[in-house]
Amino acid sequence: MFRRDPLADPAPLIKRVYAYAAYRLGDGPEAEDITSETFERALRYKKSYDQRKGEPVAWLLGIAKRCIDGGWSTTEYATEDVDAVDSSDLEEETIRRLTVARAVATLDERDRELVALRYGADLTARQIAELLGARTNAIEVALHRALARLRGILGEELDSEPVRKREASR
Amino acid sequence: MRYWRKRHEAFDLDAELRASRPEPAPEFISRLEARVRDDGRSRVGSLRVAFVGALTAVMLLALASVGGVGYASSAASDAAVTVQRVVAPSDVITVLKRSPAIDQYKKPAKKKVKAKKKKGKGTKGKVKARVRPPFTG
Repeated sequence: MFRRDPLADPAPLIKRVYAYAAYRLGDGPEAEDITSETFERALRYKKSYDQRKGEPVAWLLGIAKRCIDGGWSTTEYATEDVDAVDSSDLEEETIRRLTVARAVATLDERDRELVALRYGADLTARQIAELLGARTNAIEVALHRALARLRGILGEELDSEPVRKREASR
Repeated sequence: MRYWRKRHEAFDLDAELRASRPEPAPEFISRLEARVRDDGRSRVGSLRVAFVGALTAVMLLALASVGGVGYASSAASDAAVTVQRVVAPSDVITVLKRSPAIDQYKKPAKKKVKAKKKKGKGTKGKVKARVRPPFTG
């Protein structure tokens, strides 16, 4: 049977792997390093890709996950402090992005992984379940809880903001 | 946090997470894409060379099975000889020794010269040839 090249169209795959790495490690050079390393390994072990086991993106994300879990520490999550940036000078989109990124960074490792796979890599709950070796139902529940926690973190930030502003103005 | 304040009551976190998905720099994408494509291209090139080699081997085997190799080699050597004759003719003209013309006008055979018998000093040690007695009628 003719083998399909998993890296035939690399650009969308690069974006998805990068988004996954950025959700886990923070947007920047570390995510770029992980993405590059993932593709280097993918090129090296291209023959090991089995299309019956899943889509190329799932295979690449498995490699990226191993890269992150193996060598890169996720404890130092490097995100810009949104409070340090003067919002009047920035586009709304940038503020939104940074706020979400900071909120995701405060999640625990498991929740961050799920958010990264769901919203960074744009995988379905079923694909995440296959990748992590869990049940789809369990992943859906875990994702729902992670989003609830994230919503809570964003809410806390909103509530604490007027206090911070008041303290800053003193 | 002005953004969040505006949507404090009901914001779609799902959509926000999708919209604020981190994007890599375009230079990074193009660089990595080129790296991936280059690797694929070199693999395709080596595969092509391997395919051509395999095809040649198969053709040679098929030819050898019907004696085509010997035929081709003899044809090649004949061609080489012809080319050599045309390009560098030899100075010595070789004449065929036997041809109808030579057979017709062949040189007369040389008369055999009888070797003179040397009168020996004696027959000692030699066997004398027997001579037939003369015809007497």
